Amino acid sequence: MTTVEVSNISKRYGADQVLNDVSLSVASGETLVLFGPSGAGKTVLLRVLSGLVQNDSGAVFIDGQDMCDVEAEHRGIGMAFQNFALFPHMSAFANIASPLDARRDSPEAIKTGVHTVASLLKIDHVLEHAPKALSNGQKQRTALARALVGSPPLLLLDDPLRNVDAKLRFEMRLELPRLLANQGATVIYVTQDYKEAMALGDRIAVLAAGQLVQLGTPADIYLKPANLNIARLFGDPVINVFDVSGRRDEQGVYIELSSVRLRLDESMAACVDKDCVLGIRPESIQFCGSDTAGAIPILIETETPLNEKTVTLALTTGKREILISRPSSTTAPDSGQSHIVINADKALLFDKHSGQRIAADHCV
Amino acid sequence: MLSLPALLICIGILVPFVTAIYYSLQRYRLSQPWAREMNWGQNYLNFMTDPGFWNTLSVSMQYAFYTVALELLLGLGIALLLQRRTRTNNFISIMLLMPLMTAPALAALMWKLMTNPGFGVLSYLLTLVGIEDFRWGSAPGSAMFTVVLVDIWVYTPFIMILLLAGLRSLPKQPFEAAALDGVPRFQQFYRITLPMLTPYILTATLFRLLESIQQFDIIYAMTQGGPGDRLTVFQVEAYLNYFQSTNVGRSAALLMILWAITFFISNIFIKNWLRLRERARGEI
Amino acid sequence: MEHTGTLERILRAVALTLVVVFFMFPILWIFLMSFQTNETILRVPPSMVFEPTLANYKALITGKLETNAASIEINFLRNLWNSVFLSVTSVSLALLLGVPAAYAFARHKFKGSEDIAFTLLSFKFAPPLLVLLPLSLYFQKMGLADTYIGLIWVYQLICLPLILWIVRGYFEDISPDIEYAYRIAGHSWFATFRKIALPLAGPGIAAAGLLAFIFAWNNFIFALVLASADKQPVTVGALAFVTASGIQYGQIAAAVVMSITPTLALALYAQRYLVEGLSLGAVKG
Repeated sequence: MTTVEVSNISKRYGADQVLNDVSLSVASGETLVLFGPSGAGKTVLLRVLSGLVQNDSGAVFIDGQDMCDVEAEHRGIGMAFQNFALFPHMSAFANIASPLDARRDSPEAIKTGVHTVASLLKIDHVLEHAPKALSNGQKQRTALARALVGSPPLLLLDDPLRNVDAKLRFEMRLELPRLLANQGATVIYVTQDYKEAMALGDRIAVLAAGQLVQLGTPADIYLKPANLNIARLFGDPVINVFDVSGRRDEQGVYIELSSVRLRLDESMAACVDKDCVLGIRPESIQFCGSDTAGAIPILIETETPLNEKTVTLALTTGKREILISRPSSTTAPDSGQSHIVINADKALLFDKHSGQRIAADHCV
Repeated sequence: MLSLPALLICIGILVPFVTAIYYSLQRYRLSQPWAREMNWGQNYLNFMTDPGFWNTLSVSMQYAFYTVALELLLGLGIALLLQRRTRTNNFISIMLLMPLMTAPALAALMWKLMTNPGFGVLSYLLTLVGIEDFRWGSAPGSAMFTVVLVDIWVYTPFIMILLLAGLRSLPKQPFEAAALDGVPRFQQFYRITLPMLTPYILTATLFRLLESIQQFDIIYAMTQGGPGDRLTVFQVEAYLNYFQSTNVGRSAALLMILWAITFFISNIFIKNWLRLRERARGEI
Repeated sequence: MEHTGTLERILRAVALTLVVVFFMFPILWIFLMSFQTNETILRVPPSMVFEPTLANYKALITGKLETNAASIEINFLRNLWNSVFLSVTSVSLALLLGVPAAYAFARHKFKGSEDIAFTLLSFKFAPPLLVLLPLSLYFQKMGLADTYIGLIWVYQLICLPLILWIVRGYFEDISPDIEYAYRIAGHSWFATFRKIALPLAGPGIAAAGLLAFIFAWNNFIFALVLASADKQPVTVGALAFVTASGIQYGQIAAAVVMSITPTLALALYAQRYLVEGLSLGAVKG
């Protein structure tokens, strides 16, 4: 069991500030997902942690010990790489065995160790193959096996599902949490796929342009995204956004959408007389009859069934596109004219200029 | 790790190089050590009125031009002939490596044996077509032709290998598209093959140009710069100056000028190479 | 491409035949000549039909060359040994020094490393005599003139840049992640170099070593300037046969055959590496 503490890490390559004062800590046994678009600095942060890349400033503590002078091979880390990074001139067995080799385990211990992890990952039948004879899925499992075999207290997984096909990714997304839990290791997992992040992370750290923008549980990040960008990155179909501005009348705070007033909680009073962006998740919108209070008229364009849910693309009277998601089991609305109602409790408001979410805790 | 080879090369090249600059600014004959003194740019100034120097410059340029131009044409032609990957073609392209792997000095020796006016097989073949008493390397009129021939024999395969690699790595789609559009074959060559092959041709040309203008082995082994001063290219002239007339100052100045020429050419090459590499990286 | 006419095919075949004849005939002819006596060589018209003799090779091996007048002693085997010794030692040393340096160049991009690499490359193009003539004067002062050590040192000037340049390209092609993965697995920096980088760049190192060997073997000018008869390799040694008066032509031909056989055999044996090395040496650098 191992804790990780990252404090004020910065790194630049030439004029490029890849990491800017990043601090976070990972509890023992926790799985932390580093999430962000490509170029956000996730991989670099992982490499700073592993000691492969030197940080310009700040410090890394593993189990409270400053890693400044500890070489990569002495940090007790298991790591899986995005491109697998298998040793092309060694068999799958030798690949997996390399961490055990390095600590000079006996040949029998190596054999047992490799076979145990290989059967866990269902690759025991291809151990004698060279990497180039393996399928992509087998390569990925071999790379994972190599990271796991030494039971390292800290596992760094750099987008290990990036280069495998969709079916395999789905399978592994189900399989990995169990595997990682059994290891009992502290895990730091990099991904660009929000579903993977939500499925695997105890907590998610969102990075953008080298900065840590939000750190929280998957639910926190989905329901209370720190800014508009994060709201857009999490969720499929993507969140609906509309330019609005807050108003106040005798009944309280509201915004206007297709000349329908949407009442907001008093806690969002900060939005009044300000340019804002309203974010509504497609699943926070329901179809309704024209007589429902707050019903907004829409014109349905297309319906796209996506397995368990169906996504409807519609136009508001102001010709703005809106996506509505409903469980596929519910009945379809009539085509053409229809009405929707928005669940105001789940509406998210963002400052148009800064992109920050306007929330109760932001104003007093 | 870096320092040792770097140091070796510094000692091995930079020190002699600076020394050569120093010598080139001196009146310095090994046979008259007492008369050694700095004469600054005098050696270079003397070149202006020195017909020997202009002859050296001229024959060096001629040699470089003839060899590179002919080898390029021949190399391209052979590469086109061998372009398709058949077993015969692959076998021939391997056989053609042999002249390139022959030491140029020994190649010259081989040709010397074949062009001997007394018993040389090539001289005999010429008599069959009515050319009697062709004296090859030992006659002023044919000496240049002879050494250029040897150079072609040795180095054409180099260009052929590069261009063949280039030809075989060209993407197929443009040719298929052109064939579908009914573009005649020889137009395909001018419009598609040649432009796409240009980077390879440029690289091969500049590489050969640098070696050719410095050629020593073939010419020295064949005629030692003769007959007379017919083939006294830069390095041969510098060698003869140094070892026969022991004129270190003039020899060093000659080599400095040769170095300036190669530096100029290699700069073009390196810029071109950098562009090539960027393009290659962009595509892959 | 499919409809190549009969005429075109014939023209192609004729052209290819001419090419093969032009490039192969000299080697074949000298090879034949090396098995002939002066008598058959001097026949007019020359003929490919003759009674082969090993006398020329025998003379070279025993070191007693027949001239028209008498027999003189020339130790050609000594030249052959010098070629082997100089080439092998020079290439080994260049590999020993050059491979780690190439690795450093490929992996540690520091400010100006590209400039240094280019400077090294441009040394490849410096006129050899420019370096050799001053060096020969220095060597005389240092006692290195006409020694194997001095020659091997100078041979580094061709071998090192070549190896540095080609091997660097191969190291650059190895994904750094593969090396990182090995280090993370708990191996030292040096073990990673030995177990990952070296084997993966193996073909490149072989190609570079092979090319360097051939260039070293074929070198003429270095030993011509710096070595006296007992240190000279075959390239310089064989040429001396021509100037020594009256040595029989068959013996010269035999000396040439013995001198070019090692490189030709190597070239044919490892032609794939060689073509790769040549293309890489030129196109990549």
